[in-house]
Amino acid sequence: MKKYPLILGLITLALSILFFASIIWGEVYLSFPELWDGLRRTDPVVQSILWNIRLPRALVAMAVGASLSISGLMMQAYFKNPLASPGLLGVSSGGALGAVLYIGYGSNWLGMWGLPGASMAGAFLATFLVLSLSEIGLGTQRLLLAGIALNALLGAATSFVLSLSVSSFERSGQILFWLLGSLEDRTWEHVWVSLPLTVALGFFITSLGSPMNLLSLGESGAQSLGVNVRQFRWKMIILSTLLTAVATAVAGVIGFVGLIIPHIFRLLLGPDHKRLIPCCLIGGAAFLLGCDLISRTLNIGLRVGVITSLIGGPFFLWLLQKRAV
Amino acid sequence: MSSVLKTKDLQVVHRLNPMSLTFQSGSLIAIIGPNGSGKSTFLQAISGLLSYDGEVIWNGFNLNDIPVYQRAQQLAWVGPEPNFQFPFTVQEVLRMGRFARGEDSHNLEPYLKDMDLVSLADRPITQISTGEKQRTLLARAMVTQAPIQCWDEPLSSLDIRHQLEILMKARAMANAGATILISLHDLRVAHCMDQVVLLDQGNLIACGSPAQVLTPALLRQVFGVLSRESMGLVLELPPK
Repeated sequence: MKKYPLILGLITLALSILFFASIIWGEVYLSFPELWDGLRRTDPVVQSILWNIRLPRALVAMAVGASLSISGLMMQAYFKNPLASPGLLGVSSGGALGAVLYIGYGSNWLGMWGLPGASMAGAFLATFLVLSLSEIGLGTQRLLLAGIALNALLGAATSFVLSLSVSSFERSGQILFWLLGSLEDRTWEHVWVSLPLTVALGFFITSLGSPMNLLSLGESGAQSLGVNVRQFRWKMIILSTLLTAVATAVAGVIGFVGLIIPHIFRLLLGPDHKRLIPCCLIGGAAFLLGCDLISRTLNIGLRVGVITSLIGGPFFLWLLQKRAV
Repeated sequence: MSSVLKTKDLQVVHRLNPMSLTFQSGSLIAIIGPNGSGKSTFLQAISGLLSYDGEVIWNGFNLNDIPVYQRAQQLAWVGPEPNFQFPFTVQEVLRMGRFARGEDSHNLEPYLKDMDLVSLADRPITQISTGEKQRTLLARAMVTQAPIQCWDEPLSSLDIRHQLEILMKARAMANAGATILISLHDLRVAHCMDQVVLLDQGNLIACGSPAQVLTPALLRQVFGVLSRESMGLVLELPPK
């Protein structure tokens, strides 16, 4: 089928254009000569805009978009359910609680690494809890139920911390901003936390397409055809958790990317994960870059997490209407 | 040398009591018994889909000791059709049967033909009937070219013509050396097999030729039915 290389080419092109637009577009528009100066670091103002603001922001957006969409794709194969999302096992809400606790009560001794670190710790703690509560071998149903329960619990704890922080206007503002998901003021620390891991894991995951196909049609069938299901499911959980944890750690809670990006490509290309994985990596990166560009262009305080949900929600309802899910 | 599949004190806690059986290659084996007698459990245990005690030995190898993908080259399993959520095409599902052999470009055409799936090859499995899904899964098991085939109620949703075709195909595979274990409810079909294993409440009641196992006494004991030989309706495939 020729459709796959065409779509892969198109989204790569879209990603390149969006990346370029993210670099030159903003409160200050950078012309080509200015961009060149900035890249060569000859103009201090442009250099600062380019290297300290726009490049890290664009790179983080790409890493987060790719992480979340591929993580969603893996969860959907894992649960054999196209409606599963990366946050299903409490990873994002655990990450959120970790970050919120850090903003609310953490001292600043870890510097720039403190917030991502706290968020990662929360995410992994949540996954560990959900896995030990459900005893992974016993099947996806229990895992799902444990995840739902833990999500509710962590959400409540986050709200509790938030309500305790209301007296401090600055802190509660920070917490809210973080919970809405944001790509503003991202630094190279955020890039280093997220991008290398996303790229490395992304490459690794592209080799898992075939067993993911088999697993998505049922565990017994996959096992009988030669997939070590128990081992493979662990691999999927760990990879998906890592990716979601990293994304949440650097950008807060950003919804719907992990749900709609895999869906769009499944509609376009069918269910073959060997094709979906590269498309979700590139498409997810492009989607979040695009959403971020929209939020920057509108410039009315719409954060990227709100934009993804604003686009994702109606899109999903439309899919339901068309019975395409 | 013909291959042998053996179970040695094969046992699944609470579901299957120890049973030691021997199956010669090149034979069709029927696994029969009332609902809940352990037919599926027996086939799943042999296929390594649930943990068991005891041994399943194939040509001197303990199947539990070899990696999952190598086991898959030796043994294929077809179970009750799961609720598929992802619209892979019939052809893509068949291709998955080659997973343990590195997804080579093995020709799928003969299998599509054998299982009467040619016209459905590009249809999503989420949009075909239960019987068609069953044929797809059977074809996928055949595509593995595994010498041991464990089919759990493969005929349950099939019309009479496809049942006969699959039994003919199974016979041809057995003639070519495969060991085929089929759980079923139709005792008339069990009559055409080489060996019959009769289970009840997780216990092995009898194992032997159809004439030895399908006796009025045993059938009455296990199923609670009376049986007598008679010439009823006889169905067979017309010559091609």
